[in-house]
Amino acid sequence: MNVAGTSVPRLDGEVKVTGRARYALDLTVPGMTHGVVARAERAHARIRSIDTAEAEAVPGVLAVCTGTNVAPLDPRFGHVVRDHPALAIDTVRYHGEPIALVVAETRRAAERAARTIRVDYEDLPAVMDAEAALADGAPLLHPERVAGTRDEGLDSGGDGLAGNLCAAAEYGWGDVTAAFEAADLVLEGEYRYPMLYGYAMEPYNSIASFEEGSLVVYSTAQHPYMVREDLARIFSLPLARVRVVVPYVGGGYGTKSYTKVEPLAALGAYVTGRPVRVALSVEESILTTRSDGARIRARSAFAADGTLLARDFDVVMDSGAYTDNSPVVCAKLANRCFGPYRIGAVRVRVRSVFTNTVPASSLRGFGAPQGNLAGELQMDEAADRLGLDPFAIRLHNVVRPGEEILPGKRGIDADLPADLELLARSLGWPDAPEGRGIGFGISASDAGAHPTSVAMVRLHADGSASAAVGATELGQGSRTVLTQILAEELDLPLEKVAIVAADTGVTPYERTTGASRTTTLVGRSLQAACADAKRQARELAGGEDVPYEVAIKRFFGAGGEIIGVGTVRRHGEFQAMPPFWEIGCSGVVAAVDRETGRVRVEQLTTVGDVGFAINPALVHGQDLGAATMGLGAALSERLVYDGQTLANPNVVDYRVPRCSDLPERLDQIVVERRDGIGPYGAKGAGEGSLNPVGAAVAAAVGRVLGRYPHELPLTPERVWRLAQVEASRV
Amino acid sequence: MLLPTDFELHRPTTVAEAAALRAELGDTAALYAGGTELLLAMKLGVLEYEHLIDVKRIPALRGIERRDGELRIGAAVTHRELETLPDLPALAHLERHVANVRVRAAGTLAGNLAFGEPHADPPALLVALGARVALVGASASRELPVEDFLTGPYETELGEDELIEAVIVPVDGAVRAAYRKFQVLERPAVGVAAAGRLDGRVFDGAPVVVAGAVDERPVRIPADALAGAAYDDPDALAALAAAAAEAVEPVDDLSGSEAYKRHLTGVLAQRAVLALRGEG
Amino acid sequence: MTATTITGRINGRELTLRVDNATLLLDLLRDMGLTGAKPSCEMEICGACTVQLNGLPVSACTTLAVELDGGAVETVEHLDAGGELHPVQRAFLQHSALQCGFCTPGMVMTAKALLEQNPSPTREEVIHWLEGSICRCTGYEPIVDAILAASA
Repeated sequence: MNVAGTSVPRLDGEVKVTGRARYALDLTVPGMTHGVVARAERAHARIRSIDTAEAEAVPGVLAVCTGTNVAPLDPRFGHVVRDHPALAIDTVRYHGEPIALVVAETRRAAERAARTIRVDYEDLPAVMDAEAALADGAPLLHPERVAGTRDEGLDSGGDGLAGNLCAAAEYGWGDVTAAFEAADLVLEGEYRYPMLYGYAMEPYNSIASFEEGSLVVYSTAQHPYMVREDLARIFSLPLARVRVVVPYVGGGYGTKSYTKVEPLAALGAYVTGRPVRVALSVEESILTTRSDGARIRARSAFAADGTLLARDFDVVMDSGAYTDNSPVVCAKLANRCFGPYRIGAVRVRVRSVFTNTVPASSLRGFGAPQGNLAGELQMDEAADRLGLDPFAIRLHNVVRPGEEILPGKRGIDADLPADLELLARSLGWPDAPEGRGIGFGISASDAGAHPTSVAMVRLHADGSASAAVGATELGQGSRTVLTQILAEELDLPLEKVAIVAADTGVTPYERTTGASRTTTLVGRSLQAACADAKRQARELAGGEDVPYEVAIKRFFGAGGEIIGVGTVRRHGEFQAMPPFWEIGCSGVVAAVDRETGRVRVEQLTTVGDVGFAINPALVHGQDLGAATMGLGAALSERLVYDGQTLANPNVVDYRVPRCSDLPERLDQIVVERRDGIGPYGAKGAGEGSLNPVGAAVAAAVGRVLGRYPHELPLTPERVWRLAQVEASRV
Repeated sequence: MLLPTDFELHRPTTVAEAAALRAELGDTAALYAGGTELLLAMKLGVLEYEHLIDVKRIPALRGIERRDGELRIGAAVTHRELETLPDLPALAHLERHVANVRVRAAGTLAGNLAFGEPHADPPALLVALGARVALVGASASRELPVEDFLTGPYETELGEDELIEAVIVPVDGAVRAAYRKFQVLERPAVGVAAAGRLDGRVFDGAPVVVAGAVDERPVRIPADALAGAAYDDPDALAALAAAAAEAVEPVDDLSGSEAYKRHLTGVLAQRAVLALRGEG
Repeated sequence: MTATTITGRINGRELTLRVDNATLLLDLLRDMGLTGAKPSCEMEICGACTVQLNGLPVSACTTLAVELDGGAVETVEHLDAGGELHPVQRAFLQHSALQCGFCTPGMVMTAKALLEQNPSPTREEVIHWLEGSICRCTGYEPIVDAILAASA
């Protein structure tokens, strides 16, 4: 290989270190105006009226949009269920929900005007957590259900959704009851995973304008094509007349999946006839999207030799005020919670519940971390109770290459026992340094989302080539990796290729950029497009193997180009789901200050089972970045509701990992067994390393204190109290 | 975020000018140096002023003077400038860990006191060292112990017509001092300062121990148990911890519960005292 | 008067401007097309807006534009003005010390300010300086390595 497999310096590196990279927030368009959102101050209420007269009179204000004054437009969006109004229509369902948009010539005028807006509310009882929402007689957020969009690629969340149930996933196999009765050891526990905020450092922002009958939107969206669909529905436009353009994105991590502020900007543009920028602050971004908190009840049944006989998971997700992506997260949580083990009997029930809180949507890990916390801690507990080694108990039960985790789905395309061996060796198991604890976990995620991808390759008259793909560059390095594949497939040097991306008016359809799928699935459609282009070049050259430019010249005489198209769809080798399994195999060595409860992670090991690293440096970066994010949830990150409002809707009171949290010893192992469906045997990375980190840290702390925690994050106070409990048991 | 309202900016070049402005403008004006707390509060809409009086162009407020065994730290001296203070290593160490490098570059010690943020580092150590603030008004000057200057959360004794001229810290080579803090989020949850004289390993008299950041204002911890005791005497330290936990009135917040913070205050009191042997 | 006429240098170029007192330095710079410094937390915590004011790293989001008066501001755009990348920028590229890049201008300016004050920092000193700079992508290690590599 020429360039695939090499740590080519990332192609967007220089523009980023020189400050010249343009993010949506850096763009301006001529005549641009500013849209500022006024937000609800109730968790659940009917809107009797909104008084915008004072706002409209502020000098510089062009319009004040509300959910009802943009009629005949229906301002609702939602890729699974279209229940999410860009501006509340008659009901407010969470504190902070947008209720009006002020568009003005200057941001200052818009902000001043927004502060004057008064709403007359009729208070409704609110449900502030999932338990309350599930209780009999609980007030309903969505008494009238909106029909689903019937997108085949998305789980609609199940039939018979009633009450405050947003989605549900329920399945199983084998005789769970009998297995528990026959077991030598039954473990039962309740675990809690916090609501999180992804904190992508670029807050949500978008510029929208109507030009020549088309809606043009600049955005931070990870999935411009999904946003395009939502916008087309709201404005009754054909897809051909909606263009979504995504420049460099300042962090995604799933938080920028699906539609966010684009409808707001577009509504402002629609009403004023001017381009409108809506740019949220971090606090407003927190009030836009968070991730699901979960209560996990898990039971595991073991034989005396450590064989995992059965698992029974009952999970309740707190999913906030609107459907958003919760049905998909719910389905994935259900698939991922019991772990990558051979289990004879399984029962899983996951319920995603509406609450009067910020809507939940995708976040890195996507349901895996929540279930993994319970599943992996119960493996550790079982090992202790049965007198077995915790690595050995996992090695004993973990699926072997090709075996099924979920019946009827693609067998696992990874060697988990080998990954575990590497992890154990790196952590120095079982010899923890004095006073330290070692913790670790393994996970397998059915990743890749839906395998629809179209790519286009253009061979130019001078023999150079460019590709057009719908993938967005979030920092994960998609531009670089895809360019490497392009150069490799066409046998051209990097200097002679270019990539154009993420402009729905120009680049072909890409389902999503998420679920760790870009290298694997877009890589394959790009390979297919290169093969198509090469085939055409050979045809044009009468079957001769000549340089591309010679073939083009022969055919066209002057100018011209060859366009190759490649498609990946759910068919053939991509029929089986998931397209690939994303492995998480991570561990830590941690110290605990019993007096303060402070946990210090001294070593962090990740095993990146990626099939093939097209750019090893990028894989390293993603594995360390993902695991670091996992440390955040493990130790400090949590959104906290205080009554009807968030107590910490800012990054001052919501703590993400800092430089000083960096463990002294880092070991990012990358394993390449060429066992993936992606180019050169590649599989996806970027989420896997995060998934087991919560359980790993909890286990490490548990080993130091003699008692496993059941709740994240492990704040200093929680750890101190755990130490007290254990100390008092002697 | 924008600063929501316009304001006039005054840039006096003498203390007298600044004091006159304070007298003239009253509570419509705020004193402004680094603005690290003030401007943020204004952005958040928590505070609003029609006038800011910038004190950074007053040469008399910019220096650090050594006089009569005391350090006079001008009101416009930044945290960063105090990080390398040779005379008071404990204060220098504390200043090195205030907030972050950008806040230290712009923010001033006097500004920190004037804002009255309860979750702050400097007050505990300044009280333990017996520091004072020098205040100047249009017609009079006075000095107050820092302990009396800080009266509650965001509340100080600063008169509407006054400004801080300097923070005055006694320097006594025989006094060892140390500050230890515990932080969960962005501000210290608890900070304890200790200052005392050691004769070898034994305290000469009782050390002064002050808890900050955990209560509405700095709180003195009774440390008589350590009078004449070895600095690492386990019984004396245990008594100190108990006294510390008892002396403060913390509130539950995102950093921790009242009970946890009481416990932390005790732990940090012990650690601050133990650290005295490394100081001086 | 709620505006002030100021004279100062931005990236080496002397300018005289009339600015509203309430204008923040970050907005002044970004409105001039210097979009390297970014708004993120806007509460002085994250460092994405870091520029050098009179050589010191400051949070431009919470600094008055007026503070430019009689002084000098340097932003990330100035570092390769001579046609070559600054050693810190080269080191960031060599050590893959960025991914989404949104924190990068602030990190680069913080690193530059550090090395100008302390040309040979220890690893602990680098970490101490970066306490106020958040990165959500990289896990920090490559950034620390890059700064140490760029040091004397």
